[in-house]
Amino acid sequence: MADRIRVALADDHQLVIEGLRGLLSSEPDIEVVAVAADGDAMLIAIEQYRPDVAVLDLQMPVRDGASCLREIRRRALPVRVLVLTAFSDGESIQSALEGGADGFALKTAPPRQTVDAIRQVGQGNLVFPPAARKWLQGHRPGQESPPDLSSREWEVLELAAKGLSNQQIAEALTVSENTIKFHLQNIFQKLGVSNRTEAAGYYFRVRKPSTQ
Amino acid sequence: MTNLDEEHLAARRILAVTEQELQRIILDIHDGPVQKLFAALSQVSLLQTHLAHGESLDREWVVALNRVSDLLESSLAEIKTSIGTFRPPEFARRHLLSVIEGLIIQHEEFTGCRVDFEPRGPIPEVSLPVKIALYRILQEALSNVYRHAKVQTVIVRLAAREGKVRMDVIDDGPGFTPPPLVGPEATERAEHIGLRGMRERVALVGGEFCIDSSPGAGAHIVVEVPAHG
Repeated sequence: MADRIRVALADDHQLVIEGLRGLLSSEPDIEVVAVAADGDAMLIAIEQYRPDVAVLDLQMPVRDGASCLREIRRRALPVRVLVLTAFSDGESIQSALEGGADGFALKTAPPRQTVDAIRQVGQGNLVFPPAARKWLQGHRPGQESPPDLSSREWEVLELAAKGLSNQQIAEALTVSENTIKFHLQNIFQKLGVSNRTEAAGYYFRVRKPSTQ
Repeated sequence: MTNLDEEHLAARRILAVTEQELQRIILDIHDGPVQKLFAALSQVSLLQTHLAHGESLDREWVVALNRVSDLLESSLAEIKTSIGTFRPPEFARRHLLSVIEGLIIQHEEFTGCRVDFEPRGPIPEVSLPVKIALYRILQEALSNVYRHAKVQTVIVRLAAREGKVRMDVIDDGPGFTPPPLVGPEATERAEHIGLRGMRERVALVGGEFCIDSSPGAGAHIVVEVPAHG
């Protein structure tokens, strides 16, 4: 394992923070660099400590998790986001997907699963319950009109959908990271999406199902 | 009976369904997580007592801790469904399609069943009462299929035509003989209260409701409502 995954935790329940922090302290490849008790404090922590993964509770005072997630994406902060919540209702899962989260973990599942999810998200994978993966892969046949992506844009989209970071995509295609950012902006615009998760969702929808 | 009386009665029966659902959830929590948390806490107390007496606990520790861990884990899993069922979507903000998709994601997540959603053509924006009615009817229908039909797959269709929205819920389970839901013969049996509730929700927004089912032939529920009822 190369660098450790740097994690920031946001939850207004001190007990959850303590429990998770304790559990993560025994993971050699994960380091907790910041904790916050509300969404605004989390935004400051992310700006200051630049974690790889932000773990967000959805129900928080001052600024809730969904709003914090939107703000992270609006400011284009370079962090992957794992939503951690007690609620697995449709609204919670949808707001995580639509907000561009990289993963969704449940407080009602064994905490080990959350640790695994942090690691997965840190490695660039999208982690969602099976029911939500169907949404990512789309199930509204006939409603997509093919956008006009260049072959290079398709390449970038494919790699982004597979979870590679901008830097990794830049290395794979031997171009600069700024070029990748430029391509991604154009891709988002052409697809009418606002973030990587939605773009990945689009990619999985149009790709042939047999290649999964 | 005047329309107003009928609406009043219908509203009361819908409340009764909600009440029944609440009772079921309270019972679920009582019979599941509460008993398990109590058992887990007992195990922890026992360990604390042993520790206080300075007894050696090597093997017992591991066995007891594993039991505690299993009990806590399964309590959490049971609580998950109870607390999720009552959280409504943001009806005002979401389009009907999105509300239905969210419910389907939730149902699949809670039950592990598969729901094939087949929206056809463009679905217009509908009024808030219609959106809520369709959501609650689908919720009840999916819950019925899960509890009674025990099938792995349900089909949900949604289509719009001439200012009306039609929703079909189809399963290939064991089916049943639909009880009469209106008129003097209307069923008063407790197990049919959900079906009456569905029909009444549809009636309140000026729509039509029908169940096509017989033993051995699966079940097919059709709801057609005016988009702005």
